[in-house]
Amino acid sequence: MPISWSTATSTCSTPRWPASCPGRCRRSVSSCSTRHTTSITSALRLSVSASASRRWKALNETCGASRKRLIGRFKATDANRLRAEYNRLVDGLAQRGNLPISDAWLANPALPDDILKEAVPGNIRRAEHFLAVLRRLVRFLDGRLETETVENEMPVSFVASIHSQAGIDQKMLRFCYDRLHSLMLTLEITDTDEFMHIQTICDFATLIGTYTRGFSIITEPYDERMPDIRDPVIQLSCHDASLAIQPVFDRFQTVVITSGTLSPIDLYPRLLNFNPVISRSFTMSLTRDCICPMVLTRGSDQLPVSTKFDMRSDPGVVRNYGRLLLEMSSAVPDGIVCFFVSYSYMDGIVNSWNEMGILQDIMQHKLVFIETPDVVETTLALDNYRKACDCGRGAIFFSVARGKVAEGIDFDRHYGRLVIMFGVPFQYTLSRILLARLEYLRETFQIKEGDFLTFDALRQAAQCVGRVIRSKADYGMMIFADKRYSRHDKRSKLPGWILSHLHDAHLNLSTDMALHIAREFLRRMAQPYDKMGSGGNKTLLTEEDLQNMAQDAMEM
Amino acid sequence: MFEFDNVTNRDLCRDFVARVLGKQQGTVPPRLNVLPENSITSTRPEQLSSMEMQRRMKLLQDDSELQKLHKKFVLGNILQESEFWASRKNLLDDEANKGSKQRPGFKSAMLADVRPSADGRTNKVTFSLTTEIIHQIFAEKPAVHRAFLDFVPKKMSEKDFWTKYFRAEYLVRTKNIVAAAAEAAEDEELAIFLKNDDILAKEARLKIKRVDPTLDMEADAGDDYIHLPGHGIIHDGSKETIDTDSDFARRTLSQDLNRHAAVVLEGRSSDVELTNTKTVAEALAKSKKELPSSISDDSNNERLAKVARMTEIEDLQGPRSLPYAPLCIKDPREYFDSQQANALRSLGGNNDGRRIRSSRLSADDAFHHLLDQISSIKVNGLSCPVVHSDVALKETKWKGQKAKEMENTGFKLWYSGTVANKNRVLNELNEGISRSRRLNLKNPQEGLLGQIPQCTRDELMDHWTAIQELLRHFWSSYPITTTVLYNKVQRVKDAMTQIYQKLQDIKESAQPDVRHEMSKLVKPMTQALDAAFNHDLDQQQKVSKAGNCKP
Repeated sequence: MPISWSTATSTCSTPRWPASCPGRCRRSVSSCSTRHTTSITSALRLSVSASASRRWKALNETCGASRKRLIGRFKATDANRLRAEYNRLVDGLAQRGNLPISDAWLANPALPDDILKEAVPGNIRRAEHFLAVLRRLVRFLDGRLETETVENEMPVSFVASIHSQAGIDQKMLRFCYDRLHSLMLTLEITDTDEFMHIQTICDFATLIGTYTRGFSIITEPYDERMPDIRDPVIQLSCHDASLAIQPVFDRFQTVVITSGTLSPIDLYPRLLNFNPVISRSFTMSLTRDCICPMVLTRGSDQLPVSTKFDMRSDPGVVRNYGRLLLEMSSAVPDGIVCFFVSYSYMDGIVNSWNEMGILQDIMQHKLVFIETPDVVETTLALDNYRKACDCGRGAIFFSVARGKVAEGIDFDRHYGRLVIMFGVPFQYTLSRILLARLEYLRETFQIKEGDFLTFDALRQAAQCVGRVIRSKADYGMMIFADKRYSRHDKRSKLPGWILSHLHDAHLNLSTDMALHIAREFLRRMAQPYDKMGSGGNKTLLTEEDLQNMAQDAMEM
Repeated sequence: MFEFDNVTNRDLCRDFVARVLGKQQGTVPPRLNVLPENSITSTRPEQLSSMEMQRRMKLLQDDSELQKLHKKFVLGNILQESEFWASRKNLLDDEANKGSKQRPGFKSAMLADVRPSADGRTNKVTFSLTTEIIHQIFAEKPAVHRAFLDFVPKKMSEKDFWTKYFRAEYLVRTKNIVAAAAEAAEDEELAIFLKNDDILAKEARLKIKRVDPTLDMEADAGDDYIHLPGHGIIHDGSKETIDTDSDFARRTLSQDLNRHAAVVLEGRSSDVELTNTKTVAEALAKSKKELPSSISDDSNNERLAKVARMTEIEDLQGPRSLPYAPLCIKDPREYFDSQQANALRSLGGNNDGRRIRSSRLSADDAFHHLLDQISSIKVNGLSCPVVHSDVALKETKWKGQKAKEMENTGFKLWYSGTVANKNRVLNELNEGISRSRRLNLKNPQEGLLGQIPQCTRDELMDHWTAIQELLRHFWSSYPITTTVLYNKVQRVKDAMTQIYQKLQDIKESAQPDVRHEMSKLVKPMTQALDAAFNHDLDQQQKVSKAGNCKP
């Protein structure tokens, strides 16, 4: 059964996950698209973090309050309804009226089949008993948060210690999510926001009860950047992306994965744990050289630029980056998009530019808009950015790699004639979640840390710069501004459609050379676009062309 | 270019000029009647409607360069009113389409971000304010605006108000959260400046309903789980741990920048002269009231149109022309000079001496300007074909006969007559100029124009524009078919001879050390004039020859 999903709107290909699945799993299961707009997040980040002791306390209180309210509701409810629920639970979850088995895949891809068919264990079937179990579980987690050292556990050992200390076995944990869900349905609770915290706890319990591998539970007593402030967190992190994609492979006979950022193409099957029947990399069929990638390694003063940890706060590098943007903003029409490696880096560099006066100079040429963690503000900024590009005023958008904008907004046509990637968007390598994940990948799939980190960073970079072009009539430039891009091991990880346009002469540029190339490119591209093309470069094929092509294919 | 101290003065003067211009325009037609050689076709006095008249006057007012030319030629009896405007039909047409005046916008610089200046010895910091800055502050921070309207002058004086405002700003700038909180607790007026702007938040909620649906990230925020508390990776280095509890959540630079850019984009809605703070505040309030904040079907349709635009396949469809804001430049020379200066200033850095930079700059922008002028002529020339098509056909035939001779003499500039040919001449000139510009760029220290005194430079510029205008009329009147054209050519030729003479004078009177540069500069102009004279001579010879052959 071949399935074809549109990839233009990624949301419709994102199924609802039952238990908390925070990593927006962008999957494109598609039979036709050559868009590079979608990509597979290689990991389903499942982390249920109960962070900050203060917040934890609040959570604990609300849990208590929720329990009390639940009991209150439950006493007021008709006993018959509770009995009916009890019977349903005996029959197993799948027979419940609200969960038709046919849609089970869409609703529950992360839960194996047996959990849907099995009956809920007897000792949590009664509501009071279930609440008592929850109370014990919360108390146990409370105890774990008091730890003084960083702990990294596999679900198995964590479940074992729950069993020994709180007397809750794996099966009970596994049914927590559904049991709570069912109870809330029975009690006809509508204001689910109030029960969010207890839901989080149940999600956590179900996940550790279901999976024995691919996850780890990391307990940190403090943020390592501020070791003297106590801020305990328990995080459940998923290391294995194949868990999320597995139900898709189980359910459908033919699965086609398309993306513009799949390179290197051999790594994905390993990460997602499947054997591709066919794997092909296609070149872009362009009628003209409408993309112009460049690697900028030096600033205008010929000193190297990079966001490497020891260089990123160097004022020289900050200034060189600023001058690059300034000169480009005076030469490039309409929209320019800049991607930075992180929010904190972006904040820092924008503040420095402001103090150096570079930002003021940039604003002489174009208006400046910035992505912020606030979604509403970012949306408005984007809207204004487009307006500024539409009316000819020209604008610059500052954005963050791995951010929401990088993931879902196109900067095609005049909305983005140039995209600058400042630095290589490596993940924060000191993060314990990342370290645990790297270890898992090495042990399970034999993927080297360095390989994975580079692959991940370059995929993100390609994702960012790929936003600039959408059709053959479009054109845009891409500047990779970091000296590390000139190294072959990094560069070769970029997708083929970028590499094929990356000429050797564009590999080691300084700001003034890049400016020169940009001017030439823009002059060439700004000519009227010839829709008819010439020879084999046609944009629109006629019926005759198609027949000719078919004939050629036959002869071959 | 006139400069005025204040606006009322300018307006007075403008009215006066308009009146004089109007009067003179009125006197042109009678003068035409006096001239006896005029043929019947042009003796008919121009029947200009008052609309047309006003439009022309407005054009002259808006474009000082045009005004100068008009004064020189039309009032100097070299060109006729109708001839002058005939080559500027496109200007008139454009003007007919858009009646509205270009509104002044906000400056792109962040004026509201007033930097304190400390004197270094004491702990005092000084902020300086102008009405322009205040206007921007009000526009970007509606809460401050509201507070101003509420408090001043009932509760406090204007000076106190701004002192408080800047005290708050200073606390924000120095990121002194504790002190800010303490101050805010003591002083409720000051707290207003520190709190998040509630009016902005309200506006944002309204605006978010109108954004382009393809951008609306807020709408699909519920699709994933990251937005839920307790999900997603924390401590991954990308997120700052922000203390969200603080009532005075830090206003970040990013927010300020976004807000500023949005205000600049919206533009200034009032035409109020910024004379004092109170009027600024009131005018802004008035203009806001006028702005209806309704979300009608209209905006809904607009949203749908936007979606359609984003989903179409561009390479299979024709490009769409977006509604752009037309730019109206009153004095192109000044504008381009300042642009060039800006660009150079930002690129030039602060390393080398001012003198060198300024000389290089002036050379550069002068040439920039010349190129600009030429290209504008090209556009104008193309858009108003003065030569009718049948005439042009004849002309090409004639050209074909002539072409061989031309090649032999090697005078490429020679054979012109049609509009297209004229362009070729200009292209040739263009090349010559860019060649000399390139030469000049090689040794930027010895700027060509830099050594020439300012007044001479201006004079040269004026001559250049005059020559352009005259040449345009000269070439467009060939082939001479009527006596009207003949007369026109004679007049234009006389004027050109005068200018030629003046150019020679300038060249000769130049200081010996700059004479070489000067002649280089004057050369393209004289060449262009020479080409015209030669052509005229040739024509006359042809006519006389024909006259001799067939008596």
